[in-house]
Amino acid sequence: MQRHMERLRRAIWNYKQPLSLIPELGAPISDLFIWRNSAEWETFFELTDVSGLFADHTMSANRYATLFFFDNRGNPFFEKRLNFGIQRRQTIEVSQFVSGSVSPIGTFCVFHSHIPQAVTDLGSCLAERGYLSYRYLGAPLRGYVHGNLDAISLLPNQSLKLLGAHSFLEREYRLQHELRGPALYEIAIVNPSRRDQLVSCEVLSLSGEEVLEKQDVQLSPKGCHLFPVSVNPSQPVRVVMTSHLVMARPLVFRTNEQKMDVFHG
Amino acid sequence: MSYYPILNAPGCIGWTTICNFSPNNWEVRHITEKYLNVTWCQEGTWRSKNIGTLSPDKTHTVGIADIASLVPAESLPLLSLTNSILPARSDILPHTDTERTNYPAWRAALGLSTAHASTSYQGEIDPFPAPGSLLTFSPFIQFGEGVENYLIFLNVEASAVTRSARLEIYDSARPELLKRTVDVCNNSAAVISLDDLGFSPTDLPVIISKEMSAIPLYLSRTRDGEYLSLEHTHPPASYVVHGKRWEAQKLLKTLWFSRVTR
Repeated sequence: MQRHMERLRRAIWNYKQPLSLIPELGAPISDLFIWRNSAEWETFFELTDVSGLFADHTMSANRYATLFFFDNRGNPFFEKRLNFGIQRRQTIEVSQFVSGSVSPIGTFCVFHSHIPQAVTDLGSCLAERGYLSYRYLGAPLRGYVHGNLDAISLLPNQSLKLLGAHSFLEREYRLQHELRGPALYEIAIVNPSRRDQLVSCEVLSLSGEEVLEKQDVQLSPKGCHLFPVSVNPSQPVRVVMTSHLVMARPLVFRTNEQKMDVFHG
Repeated sequence: MSYYPILNAPGCIGWTTICNFSPNNWEVRHITEKYLNVTWCQEGTWRSKNIGTLSPDKTHTVGIADIASLVPAESLPLLSLTNSILPARSDILPHTDTERTNYPAWRAALGLSTAHASTSYQGEIDPFPAPGSLLTFSPFIQFGEGVENYLIFLNVEASAVTRSARLEIYDSARPELLKRTVDVCNNSAAVISLDDLGFSPTDLPVIISKEMSAIPLYLSRTRDGEYLSLEHTHPPASYVVHGKRWEAQKLLKTLWFSRVTR
């Protein structure tokens, strides 16, 4: 009986609320990556010919990737087509493509032009969940972080379709990380769904008993936001994201004087 | 719940912050006080020691120095939270009897620090099947004066019986040329320098083991310890979504394993 009750309880959270929507077969998929561009921040993307990994590596000369850039409100402002090197890594300086945006942050996606037949035959879609790096204050090292969501697809008519799902119920994403100071944390969140989303960022005492601060933002589709959280050395805190997104996994930037770290929730 | 390793790397101190609260508000309803354990593999046996308890909603950080008197320096310490005390010795990695979540997985902060900088990622590890295999393409190597790059080959298997495997490093554009082989062991975190292999900024290294699975972590650091970067690559199944993803991974492994053995 208890097991049935638990199944029923879970069903309320799972019924018709997938992590992401099923894309059209054959459509390339991408995460919605966050770019930052300012006097302090530079963004880089590691472009590789993913489809070429599945096929004869001498055949990739005609393949390319198309990058679509959006501002923090999800408005498109730039597209760029880039050719692949054959089994090569290209570290793309994203900042060179986003200088036309009035916003210092935004999102972008990367679609591969060629889908290997072997991938389609498996009923799968080729995904770019790639690797980003951020440079802070011209540091000699960049901080790397991977993408992790099938957020958006490119349809055959070249229109974009968001794949992020939203829930009937309000969900919490409780970052399992202790925020320690002195540092400025910036909790970055993207809206991969087709509707505007209200996202709250609650800063809690380490025990979780006290809400120290709450910030809200209304996010447009494809838009993003950074919640600043300043942490004192004497009071480590934790963070909870609340929204109707099925999984509001944030990207976290931590800066302290000249140093930076970046990681996914 | 999974296990949570404490990492180690040259010039860095490892630490792990473990949490006794659920990562969401719907998969786990009631959180109870749990035992905090450290488990490690020594002389062909899993050894576990309870090192405290963790109340609901609490976090706790365990540094490598905190368990140095228990765990030999060459062993990989694995933290866990359990409802019951783990056996002091066992042939098979003990099952953790605590809650699991999927959206997201129940994670810990796995970090490396120097006197000047700190880096971490949210991670966990579950035992890999043995024998397994690894195929990973890494665009993480960084270049510059005083920059060092390491692969941390993180493996845990259920069996405590020590076995080794061969790790091979190639340039994906020239897979016929083997750049390096390294012997790695199960239930450990082997640290392998990637700096003296002649890779350039446009090379895409491919790292292969036909005998052992692992989480491939990449650490970059400046020699003075002022700057650090840590991240892992995706498994090949992540290059596709939906459909038979694991078949896609198998296809990629078959293709690349045959390329490097031509």
